[in-house]
Amino acid sequence: MISKAIAILLYLCVVMYLGYKGWQTTKRPTDYMLAGRQMSPWVMALSYGATFVSTSAIVGFGGAAGLFGFPLLWLTFLTIFVGVFVAMVGFGKRTRRMGLSLNSHTFPELLGRRYGSSFIQSFAGGIIFLFIPIYAAAVLIGISRILEISLGVPYEAALVGMTVLLAIYVISGGLKAVMYTDAFQALIMALMMIILLVGTYAMLGGVTEAHSALAKLAPLMPEKLKLGGMEGWTQGARFGSPLWLVIYTTIVYGVGIGVLAQPQLAVRFMTVPSDRELNRAVLVGGIFIPLMTGVAFTVGALSNAVFMEKFGKISIAMAAGNMDKIIPIYIEKVMPPWFAGLFLLGMFAAAMSTLSSQYHVGGTSLSRDIWENVRGRAGSVLSSRFGVTLTVLAALAWAWILPASVIARATAFFFGLCAAAFLPAYCLGLYWKGMTRAGAVVSMVGGFATSMFWLLFVHLKESQAIGLSKALFGMDSLAAGAAKGSSLWLMQWVDPNVVALPISLVLAFVVSSFTQKMEETHVERCFENIG
Amino acid sequence: MLGFDTIEPAAALWLCLAASAWCVVYGIRNWNESGRKQVSRDGEE
Repeated sequence: MISKAIAILLYLCVVMYLGYKGWQTTKRPTDYMLAGRQMSPWVMALSYGATFVSTSAIVGFGGAAGLFGFPLLWLTFLTIFVGVFVAMVGFGKRTRRMGLSLNSHTFPELLGRRYGSSFIQSFAGGIIFLFIPIYAAAVLIGISRILEISLGVPYEAALVGMTVLLAIYVISGGLKAVMYTDAFQALIMALMMIILLVGTYAMLGGVTEAHSALAKLAPLMPEKLKLGGMEGWTQGARFGSPLWLVIYTTIVYGVGIGVLAQPQLAVRFMTVPSDRELNRAVLVGGIFIPLMTGVAFTVGALSNAVFMEKFGKISIAMAAGNMDKIIPIYIEKVMPPWFAGLFLLGMFAAAMSTLSSQYHVGGTSLSRDIWENVRGRAGSVLSSRFGVTLTVLAALAWAWILPASVIARATAFFFGLCAAAFLPAYCLGLYWKGMTRAGAVVSMVGGFATSMFWLLFVHLKESQAIGLSKALFGMDSLAAGAAKGSSLWLMQWVDPNVVALPISLVLAFVVSSFTQKMEETHVERCFENIG
Repeated sequence: MLGFDTIEPAAALWLCLAASAWCVVYGIRNWNESGRKQVSRDGEE
């Protein structure tokens, strides 16, 4: 206990020092919102990765791999290829160049200026400011619960303590403080994951031996999961079964593609001075991201073989049916005691790096994209600090009043809404000169509305947790009323993005084809750095 | 097949390793590639 407390104290000292370094060099709004556009590729890439991967990605998705097995590695492939390569090369370079041409400081401002629309900027900023505190609250609750269990800190004190710590350096140091601390936190996370991976394979006698041992456990797959379509931890799920839909539409597609339209990630492309830094960041991200998601999913799946060898039980039985407990129990029961301290530090780092970015992007959306945009005047560092303060307080309030089950599902809300509302307008805005203002508005509003409808009334995980569908129509999902086994009935497990994203994309193309083109001089200015 | 009894998990694992290697090679090959000089309107409101 004392060694854990000392390690956390040392860690916090380094974080505060880096926060201070960020504050010291933050003078202008560009420093506060974009780290002065002078960030190094190493810091940018590590910060991008640490923001992307939170505690829920390690503990939650690692636990999901304990249940569903190796098919989750398809998500790892997407996080590397789409989340790093496509994001940085295909989106990042154009985002940075267009951001320079249009003097954009935030993701909504880039969209708003690309389409010459203050409505687009405010609408995007509004979605971010309203929903990111709920996403942040989920991360805050997760780390506060871990602190309560590991160090015996009362839950409410952990909530407030974490909030105050983060608020100090995010509010004062802006994006520089956020990115410096993120990079440090990413290094701790990487060290933890390397030890976890090597330790797990060593326990099972090597890579091939470990996979073979897991493959042989297929007959032990719980009956309930077999009925849902699962065939084994290395075999995956039957095509078209409910669990196949959960794995491939929600986890693999929903998260793997959704990453492209995350404003807290996209803004990082504008923090570097040239394409060179993005090229170098591809290298760093291409190593860091598989170390996070790849290791979490591999260890989650292999935990079944380790638990079986040591305790004669599969992972979900060890965790008494709670998927989220698989990784913590694995650390506690299987890994050496000193590793528990490092794991706690890694969880701390993962949560803080994600939270700090969420606070920052929520705050700048409020100050820059809503408040200053409506007033029509350029703001200051002070107004950004005020925006971040309000976001921090909103996240704390959500964490305080909502039950953990609802908040955890609300995380999916943010990913779903961002992809459907922003991705077509963002992607086509970077690549298609013929995209019109009306096309962007209709695509964003249509994608948002469709995604919202699907989350509230169709996708069972969220609609059941929120309860609006039950209150209005007497059933947890409108799809549940269809004939069992029919395509319509299966819709309750289909991710909102599978429906809302194509609708948003079609709306963007169709409306842009029939509406007034944007002024040629404006379009030329948008693309002057792209060619 | 890395000890797996079906092709799917082995393919996913190999693709992860290939994607990671691709990112590393891309980063090395373009290490000093800055792109052409760009117009900056930083500070204009």
